[in-house]
Amino acid sequence: MSLTKESKNTLSWSNTVELIDNLRVDEVGLKERVASLATRSIKKDSKLQALNYIVTMCDLTTLEGEDTEGKIGQMAAKAIRPDPSNSEVPSVAAVCVYPALVAKAKEMTRNSNVKVASVSSYFPSGQAPLESKIFDTQFAIDQGADEIDIVINRKAFFEGDYRKMYDEIVALKEVCKSVHLKTILEVGELKTYENIKKASLISLAAGSDFIKTSTGKISNGSSREACYLMAKAVWDYKMVTGFKAGIKVAGGIRDSKDAIRYLVIVNEELGPEWLSPDYFRFGASSLVDDVLKQIKKLKTNAYQSSYYFPRG
Amino acid sequence: MKTWDYAESIESSAIVNIEKKYGIFLDGEFQTANSKKFLKTISPSTEEVLSSITVGNKNDIDSAVDSAKNGLKIWSKLTGTERAKYLFKLARLIQERSREFAVLESLDGGKPIKESRDFDLPQVAANFFYFAGWADKLDISWNTKGLKPYGIVGQIIPWNFPLLMLSWKVAPALATGNVVILKPAESTPLTALLFAELCQEVGLPPGVFNLVTGDGTTGAALVQHPDISKIAFTGSTAVGKYIQNETAGRDIGLTLELGGKAANIVYNDAAIDQAVEGVVNGIFFNQGHVCCAGSRLVLQEDIHDEFVSKLEKRMQSLRVGNPLDKNTDIGAINSKEQLDKISFLVNEGVSEGGTIFQTECELPANGFWFRPTLFTNAQPSYKIAREEIFGPVLTTLTFRTPEEAIDIANNTEYGLSAGIWTEKGSKILWTADRLQAGVIWANTFNKFDPSSPFGGYKESGFGREGGRHGLLSYLKVQS
Amino acid sequence: MNEIKKTYKNYVGGKYVRSESGKTFRIELKNQFYEVPLTSRKDVRDAVVAAKKGYTEWQKLTPYNKTQVLYRLSEMVEGNSETYQQILQESGLTKSKANQDIKNAIDSLIWYAGMADKWEQMTGNLNPVAGDYFNISHQESLGVVFTLNTEENSFNQLLLSILPSLTTGCSVISFSGDNSILALKLAEDINNSDLPSGALNILSGNFSQIIDDVSNHVEINAMAIYKDLTSSDKKIIRENASKSLKRIVIKPPTSGLESLLPFIETKTVWHPKGR
Repeated sequence: MSLTKESKNTLSWSNTVELIDNLRVDEVGLKERVASLATRSIKKDSKLQALNYIVTMCDLTTLEGEDTEGKIGQMAAKAIRPDPSNSEVPSVAAVCVYPALVAKAKEMTRNSNVKVASVSSYFPSGQAPLESKIFDTQFAIDQGADEIDIVINRKAFFEGDYRKMYDEIVALKEVCKSVHLKTILEVGELKTYENIKKASLISLAAGSDFIKTSTGKISNGSSREACYLMAKAVWDYKMVTGFKAGIKVAGGIRDSKDAIRYLVIVNEELGPEWLSPDYFRFGASSLVDDVLKQIKKLKTNAYQSSYYFPRG
Repeated sequence: MKTWDYAESIESSAIVNIEKKYGIFLDGEFQTANSKKFLKTISPSTEEVLSSITVGNKNDIDSAVDSAKNGLKIWSKLTGTERAKYLFKLARLIQERSREFAVLESLDGGKPIKESRDFDLPQVAANFFYFAGWADKLDISWNTKGLKPYGIVGQIIPWNFPLLMLSWKVAPALATGNVVILKPAESTPLTALLFAELCQEVGLPPGVFNLVTGDGTTGAALVQHPDISKIAFTGSTAVGKYIQNETAGRDIGLTLELGGKAANIVYNDAAIDQAVEGVVNGIFFNQGHVCCAGSRLVLQEDIHDEFVSKLEKRMQSLRVGNPLDKNTDIGAINSKEQLDKISFLVNEGVSEGGTIFQTECELPANGFWFRPTLFTNAQPSYKIAREEIFGPVLTTLTFRTPEEAIDIANNTEYGLSAGIWTEKGSKILWTADRLQAGVIWANTFNKFDPSSPFGGYKESGFGREGGRHGLLSYLKVQS
Repeated sequence: MNEIKKTYKNYVGGKYVRSESGKTFRIELKNQFYEVPLTSRKDVRDAVVAAKKGYTEWQKLTPYNKTQVLYRLSEMVEGNSETYQQILQESGLTKSKANQDIKNAIDSLIWYAGMADKWEQMTGNLNPVAGDYFNISHQESLGVVFTLNTEENSFNQLLLSILPSLTTGCSVISFSGDNSILALKLAEDINNSDLPSGALNILSGNFSQIIDDVSNHVEINAMAIYKDLTSSDKKIIRENASKSLKRIVIKPPTSGLESLLPFIETKTVWHPKGR
């Protein structure tokens, strides 16, 4: 494909069309490859290394109507120091909250490396006019958000109006400027693998820094198959533009074993340079606790209880 | 750059118990052979000697035939359902002891434990289950009258899937009422010897399954024995031709599963990432020691560069090393002899003008190893594009039109398997109709199932194994 | 005094041809001599070339068309049954035996004609593999088949040495010895039928003179021997066949589905089932 680079990480609509034209995925072959990657046996030092990666890649998340400043305070403290009993355990990557709580999160994390991410664009449904999404996003940025997690316009996607979906992301990217933009595909709604790859490529072409699996608000949030496919899209996009995008998996990743399997996918399909919070994130609330237990278990050789670890 | 190295995760070999020396298995028990000759079976990944096995001679084959004759007397009196019960029991026992078998297979043959555990052993058990169920349904298996077992069947199997090939041979032969004399490959006899123990354990009547280990001379004695009424062989085309020639004077049954040089055709409208996976699986599965391996990548010219770039990247992620490490993708080459053959052909490929790509990986100091290898810029006339390499070496050829793809694919004396990659359904069927091969994988590769017939066109042999068609390899159709 | 009734020619690629060697041999029936071709090595090679072309053409016909072509052949044979009956009687059969043989031959033609569009249903199947795959074994014909007729004076046996392989879509080179008049006569009906040129070729001669050429010829995919051969002839055939792994069937069944089985290859195709 002969594409002209618009800027560092975007493609024109016509080049985007070329990228998603004749896009094909075979479900059975895809699943077989992902199942095969899941047989990797990660033990000893490589397991500890993975667990530490996972902590540093976590976006500790709370996205509830009942969230308060008090709750954000607890979570931010945990984000900075996930295991007070073990100073070797690093901080997580970010806390992820609604726009109304960005200011509080920012205040709580100001003396740390922990970033504040905010969802926006009428998360989780995205069913609002673009103007509202722009306002939502601008507000979060004004409140101090370092990263913005938007949702794609699934209504437009399913109506076949890919142009509209693309244009919205372009518009929101303009609002974000240098603020990191993560675009949520909601793979559980897209259902087919071709849809997931198509939505991934459109999101990347429109300027997303990251593509993200799910809002976490539906039951089938993330899947390793979706992650694999998004990694393939990230690779294809890098081949065309040279731009190295990241992936965030969120929605239903609760234990270390599952999280390590995601890391294996990224490690083998994209390479170890993606094993960094700059390029891979887990959006999770309870995952960190399990990872902390596993780290402690590796050190002490005894299975742990969650009451050793602070509430998030 | 930081990397994440997977720590070794070794499957313990403590579970297997290997004797220092093995006899042969006749009359339902292990016996000292007439032959006093032994050969050492080694682990190709370490060159460590595992055991000494008997090189059966002509007298041993004679004894095996005597044992088989007695076995046939008992076996032919049993009802189909009784035979089925023995095979079901064997299937169950194989499942129960599959970890032991898997470790032994990887030790003796060099294949990754991931494959012996997740592929070979489940397939072995499945074969016994599948054919067990046919034993009492032979009369309704085909719309023909007068299907009868041959009697004593001689079976010679290769070293690439030792126990799996045993199951492909033994399960249908016993289900159809034959008795068996099996000669396993000289470099991989251990799982067959363990299988003999299982036959004892299930109380299979003496003489129904007979095992004579050895080398080519043992196989020749088996092939030449006048009381063998059917030979089933899996191995090289050269030996297959020898067997057809050697048995020319006798009216016996013969099925041959021989070599291949399969084309894996990738059209430009394929699901590229899955095609890359399929091509990798097609040639690097079991170190490429697969008769149906997709050893010729037949690639539409307009996607050549993109595809090769993805393929090379994917190849680089293959982990070569200790077969017992659960994270190993590619194990050891089965023998020094095979390694020399692969090296020779690869050198030929370079000197003929092919562009070689080999993955960067550390190879262990001992044992037999070969890096995953890809040739581009190869021509159909090159040796690497014509001869079966039987190793982790893929040769790329390009085409412009579907007709040209077919021409390239069929331009070989072999006809065992082929692959087709396109998301266009009608093109799959058009292509499949024109490919001269017994097994065609469309948008997948190297898939096997006991119910799915397997076998070649042309010089890849004759007869089918597996499925309803596989029964006919062990039943005489009488006029 | 017997008279030379007719000089017959081989039938190759839809044409009546003399042996390129010019050699013939004489077959003596009750009242007549017949001069028939003594097939040479070169004739065998020409027949293979014709049969290869014929195979492609015969393949192009749908199973339904093949049924109609074979049925039409049966109609023509029936129309000419007196001619065959005469030859059989001259060969020594009683009138009633000859009649019965012709009737059997026509029945055989009818049976195989109706089989052309059914055998694949009876031999192929969908295989219930464990996994998300569609897996089907379908059947293809082997290619060029050389068939050696029995020595019987039987029109039905001649047809039963031809029809099983022909019905599967193979092209056939049918070879007869001292009873070749029937086969050479059949060539006339073949010629008037809708069988594509080269699909069915008729040769006459002494098999022992061409045994090596046939069994060595790589482009003959299979040999079906309906005649009783000596052990040493069978050995020669199989030894030569082993050079290219030619399929050899000795005394194959001549009735039922099993009569077709030696002439088919099983092709199994896998495809994933996914969204």
